[in-house]
Amino acid sequence: MILQALKEYYDRKAADPDSGIAPPGWIAQKIDYMITIDETGNMVGGLERLREKRGKKESGWPCLVPNVGKQSIKHNNSGTDANLLWDNCGFVLGVGKRGEKKQEAFLAAASLFTNRVPDLGAKAICQFIEKARTDPSHVDPILKHPEWGVEIGTGSPTIAFHLHKDDPNSAKFIFQRRQVAEALSQSSEQEDKAEACVTGLCILTGETGQSIPLCHTVIKGIRGAQPAGATIVGINKDKTAFCSFGKEQAANSPISKTAADAYTKALNYLLNSTQRMQVGDASTVFWSEKKTDFEDKFAMFFSDPPKDNPDQHTQAVKALLDAPITGALPSEDLDAGKFFVLGLAAPAKARISIRFWIVSPLSEMQEKIRQHFRDLEIICPPYEKAIYSIFRLLLSTAARSEAKNIPPNLEGDTMRSILEGLPYPATLLQSVIRRIKAEQSLKNKKTGKSVPHISYVRAALIKACINRSCRFKKYKPEEELAVSLDPHNMNIGYRLGRLFATLEKIQQAANPGINATIRDRYYASASGTPAVVFGTLIKLSKHHLAKLKEGWRIHFEKILQEIIGGMNGTVAFPPHLPLEDQGRFAVGYYHQMQDFYPRKEKQD
Amino acid sequence: MSKGFCLEVKGDFACFTRPEMKVERVSYDVITPSAARAIFDAILWKPAIRWRITKIEVLNPIRWANIRRNEVAHTASPKSKGIFIEDSRQQRAALLLRDVKYRLHGEFDFIPPEKRGKTSNPVPEWLVDAAEFDDLQKLDVRAAETEAKYAAMFERRAKKGQHFHHPYLGCREFAADVRLVDPSREPVTPIAKNDDLGWMLYDLDFSDPANIKPMFYRPEMKQGVIQVPHPESEEVRK
Repeated sequence: MILQALKEYYDRKAADPDSGIAPPGWIAQKIDYMITIDETGNMVGGLERLREKRGKKESGWPCLVPNVGKQSIKHNNSGTDANLLWDNCGFVLGVGKRGEKKQEAFLAAASLFTNRVPDLGAKAICQFIEKARTDPSHVDPILKHPEWGVEIGTGSPTIAFHLHKDDPNSAKFIFQRRQVAEALSQSSEQEDKAEACVTGLCILTGETGQSIPLCHTVIKGIRGAQPAGATIVGINKDKTAFCSFGKEQAANSPISKTAADAYTKALNYLLNSTQRMQVGDASTVFWSEKKTDFEDKFAMFFSDPPKDNPDQHTQAVKALLDAPITGALPSEDLDAGKFFVLGLAAPAKARISIRFWIVSPLSEMQEKIRQHFRDLEIICPPYEKAIYSIFRLLLSTAARSEAKNIPPNLEGDTMRSILEGLPYPATLLQSVIRRIKAEQSLKNKKTGKSVPHISYVRAALIKACINRSCRFKKYKPEEELAVSLDPHNMNIGYRLGRLFATLEKIQQAANPGINATIRDRYYASASGTPAVVFGTLIKLSKHHLAKLKEGWRIHFEKILQEIIGGMNGTVAFPPHLPLEDQGRFAVGYYHQMQDFYPRKEKQD
Repeated sequence: MSKGFCLEVKGDFACFTRPEMKVERVSYDVITPSAARAIFDAILWKPAIRWRITKIEVLNPIRWANIRRNEVAHTASPKSKGIFIEDSRQQRAALLLRDVKYRLHGEFDFIPPEKRGKTSNPVPEWLVDAAEFDDLQKLDVRAAETEAKYAAMFERRAKKGQHFHHPYLGCREFAADVRLVDPSREPVTPIAKNDDLGWMLYDLDFSDPANIKPMFYRPEMKQGVIQVPHPESEEVRK
């Protein structure tokens, strides 16, 4: 399913001339250096460097180059798999390990091509290489270049040729010349001698008699994998533990050359585009069956916005949430078929592991994401941003808010539960509550003031966890938590949280400017074992109330009565609160605290 | 052709590994006919019968789990001196199915004695007496060699819960809970899902033991029911 869906994506993109994906026979690559030659193979002018700063890093000139096999992305170790009319300096100039052999192979490939397609430019390349082999000083201007000679000598930068009389706009490189390009596009797959193949059935297309390559092209761009690239379908030659029925390498999973090309190009294209994001250790790509706007916006729901446009994601989420009300969904999205999300990680550097694979109709996917944001909705203090990315949500569960303290696998599991509409992982609720208890007396290092341990993000997470697991079990409406203070919620945990918040407020009102309140000392035990602690707290509150002026005292006593009165006839405080109720305790505390601070009604 | 049987199988985990993701295992969405046949084989198999799956019903929604396990990179064999785990331990992740429940409908084909394949583990030569030699070459014809005999054997064993080895869901470590049911007496509604599952492994073609070939088919799940084609039909590509 996975590779098949990728292949179908490739077919969709290849049919669209504007997409920029490489058609069969070509591949997207970057050229670092350019040599200008004339028809007899002599160098004209100096060496030109195309490698410059594009964006953050330096990279070569991106263009489509002829792709005759896997060597266009990664060479194997034999030294005989040369590319056609372009390659790295090791192959073109014969530098580095096995340099002679490599240059021979490059010349052989180019000559073979020239015999088939007698093009001026291709012939010029052959003559240039022959001259270089007979007379090494021919390439001195390149190898002994004062600035770049050293880099070229390592053999790794890519290099291509330009025919001096060609117009640089239409045929910057010789393989872009009209005659050459047409011949390359029309030629059928050239069987590379170095590449082993068997014939058989292809499991992606179901057609028999296909040639099955034993190794697939590598995928680049997965975080954590080796930079040269990793494969999904990969079995070592001698690792018999993974071979079956005597088949070797990729013959264990027969996929035809065209289908293998298609899916690897599609995946490389996606990893290089905006349709990707990072979820924990998994590089995630997503696409839809047909072209939709949703494809482009998907990342905005889950990742952090760019620094120059911090509201971009908030707006995207708002648009999604409002869409059913305003009917603003573009009509194309309604029958757009399925939406695919693929999470890939590389725990073993050279092989890719599938972390998650989610397929669902586009409208269902949108609904599930909407549900996630609806679950997270909770009353927000005015200084907080309303929407958080998954990473920020999980950061609130980590000790000292450090990313390395997030439990592993949690991001991937949370993403999966969002997209499948399942309750959040149990670890999430546990981590948040543990953090809250641990930070009960956290103070800001500079000002010495208390930092709220139940922040907006944490309260939202707890509410979402509880509501989702509520819905998954037998649904009882009274168990759900509301967005803001809910005086009708009878749950003992919720009420105790509210009670605790009120008692703290009474203490603060009676002793203005106090640094350490009951929260700093008693929160964790009040939340975990109320019976032990609340007796003391209520006794203390009597003294605090006595210090207040009449008006305030009556106000607070009314609130206390309302809370305790609703504790549903329980005779005593429970000796222990289960985890979910501790979560409700935290949310009750948060709601009550927010309620104590009146906020101006926003004029809509 | 024989009367069909229906087995209800369920398990906590299942992994019907895709051949293209063999190392970091990824499971197919539903059970393959090959794994289903293995469950029938676990209960009863004789050289006289060959099981064939006709219908698969998916009773539980398809749910996934991602687990990481310690595995070894070498294969165990009697010739080797054993696997020293410290040297060949590798951690691999697997994307499996959770809480699966299927109803598998299968029938067996009776193979007459002349058509049965030679045993691949015959009695060694030095154990054979001259007097027995002729007997061993003869065909395995017994009295009352009928289909009904094997059908009765299977039904008896399945009812009692007997098996040669514990039935499993794709990989040996995921044991299955198997129960013989009569679909007319215990009807059940499969999940309400329509899906095109792509090209899936059908089974392996053992007709030429030197070159065992996989067969693939493209199942369509209609309301949770997959009709599995006959191995000789056109829908099964070899």
